[in-house]
Amino acid sequence: MSATPASGEALSFDLRLAAGAFELRAAAAVEGPAAVLGPSGAGKTTLLHAIAGLRRAEGTLTLGGAVLQDTGRGIYLPPERRRLGLVPQAGLLFPHLSVRRNLLFGRRRGGGRPELPEPAGDDFAALVEALELAPLLDRYPRGLSGGEARRVALGRALLSRPRLLLLDEPTEGLDAERSRRALAHVARAAAVAATPFLVVTHELDEALALAREVVLLEEGRVVAAGPAGEVLTRRGLPRGPHAGRHANVARGVVARHDPESGVTAVELERGGTVLVPHDAALAAGAPVVLAVDAEEVIVSVAEPAGLSARNVVAAAVDALEEEAGSIYVRAGGWVARLTPAAARELGLAPGRRVWMAVKSHSWRVVLG
Amino acid sequence: MDAGLWRLVLFTVEVAAASTALVLVPGVLVAWALSRRGWPGRSLVEAAVTVPLVVPPTAVGLALLLLLGPAGPVGGWLRRTLGWEIAFTPAAVVLACAVVSFPLLVRQARAALEEVDPGLLGVARTLGRGPFATFVEVHAPLAWRGILAGAVLAFARALGEFGATVLVAGNIPGRTQTLATAIFQRVQVGREREALLLAGVSAAIAFATLLAVERLTRGRERELAR
Repeated sequence: MSATPASGEALSFDLRLAAGAFELRAAAAVEGPAAVLGPSGAGKTTLLHAIAGLRRAEGTLTLGGAVLQDTGRGIYLPPERRRLGLVPQAGLLFPHLSVRRNLLFGRRRGGGRPELPEPAGDDFAALVEALELAPLLDRYPRGLSGGEARRVALGRALLSRPRLLLLDEPTEGLDAERSRRALAHVARAAAVAATPFLVVTHELDEALALAREVVLLEEGRVVAAGPAGEVLTRRGLPRGPHAGRHANVARGVVARHDPESGVTAVELERGGTVLVPHDAALAAGAPVVLAVDAEEVIVSVAEPAGLSARNVVAAAVDALEEEAGSIYVRAGGWVARLTPAAARELGLAPGRRVWMAVKSHSWRVVLG
Repeated sequence: MDAGLWRLVLFTVEVAAASTALVLVPGVLVAWALSRRGWPGRSLVEAAVTVPLVVPPTAVGLALLLLLGPAGPVGGWLRRTLGWEIAFTPAAVVLACAVVSFPLLVRQARAALEEVDPGLLGVARTLGRGPFATFVEVHAPLAWRGILAGAVLAFARALGEFGATVLVAGNIPGRTQTLATAIFQRVQVGREREALLLAGVSAAIAFATLLAVERLTRGRERELAR
């Protein structure tokens, strides 16, 4: 089973909505898998509900060329005609229906006759497997744990065959281990259903794990949007979960485990191999997303010898950027954060050959 | 229990059941409409629905009599086109009970509908259900206990209906007389022991009905507490 995220049609929005003192004015164009990242109160859920059509916003919204709303021209599709699958934060399963009937609820999209009255069809079986729902099918929502309810909600949304999945804080309230599993479920299920998604979150790692494109939202405004690697290392961004977290993101697949040496090798999409601490939970061949903060990257102007760091790449400096008293060194697609003094002493300048090193333990496995 | 009393009890229960059946669907639909925000004239409809609850039942009965009587606009039309007589028939008893118990059902059903998490209704919409399908498949099923409690309350109210009934249907023994109007009639003719018996029977029926409401409501509280 491949977990390559489905890429989808471009979502483009320019929405305005006022709710009391809060005002949302958000415009961006993204292609799923994408994340809306922002602190609590930035208006992420409001934006998601406006996109779903559950809260009326003024403005335009198009998905892959289809106009979902253009209030200036009097076009506003109700939620049932947008074909967007919403996975609310709390799951919001229908309490009067069994898990099975919750899952099948969206099958009868459009209010027509049941296409598939009984659980049948490949995507039902495939999603039940991907989300490990088989033991839950005949239970009722009341007895489910938070994580289980979210998995059912995810399956229910995907089984309605949406053109875009909208996920609201999929790991909110879960501990680290459960969060990682929840993210893996999201990635796997979306891949099985070949459905692109837009996830809103205040967790940087969650955005990195799931999304290739990121929209940064602050106080109801979009402050940056674009490819995750680029946006999250951009200078001059206001505060937020990403502040001071100029993360390097690397996608790859697990190449091999070496328990003797205590490492797991990950082959990166961008080329090269990275060693992370041995993690038996990562299946060989499975996709992973790794992240390392810019301050964890060591820069050397000579080829390191006798260094404990296991991951070293040689590259030429592309750019030096100063921000908030730090120098960000970009080389070979990586970014490192140095003090101005360190940058000066090393005599860094664009074009200079450097070695960038990262300890195995500095890598965070954000998805895998 | 003698046959006359038994017939009286049966007729009263039948009338109350028919009245409840008559108001159930329209009442739930009106409750649903009132639970949805943002449509013009909503407060006007709300007031109109509540009126029969606050004006004297005899005033309601008078209004019904004017409407349904052989010379009234509705009664006259029914008589001319279909040959139906409404006033002073069992149908008038049912209608009087329906009008008076309608607000009780609407209020109870509306409260139950408003308790349902609007988030669930939103999810149903994103899963392809229009507003009415969402109501039928999610909203009403989640509020069923409250709706049922409202129906039972409407039934209990119909059992005791007097004022409106007596004006539009009269108090004709064996034809439009119910337990409530029979008590009045027995007292007037001085058969007080009989009146007391009827009162006891009425109280027993009402008590059993309200006990049922109480049980349903308690069940709902338990469900919410879980």
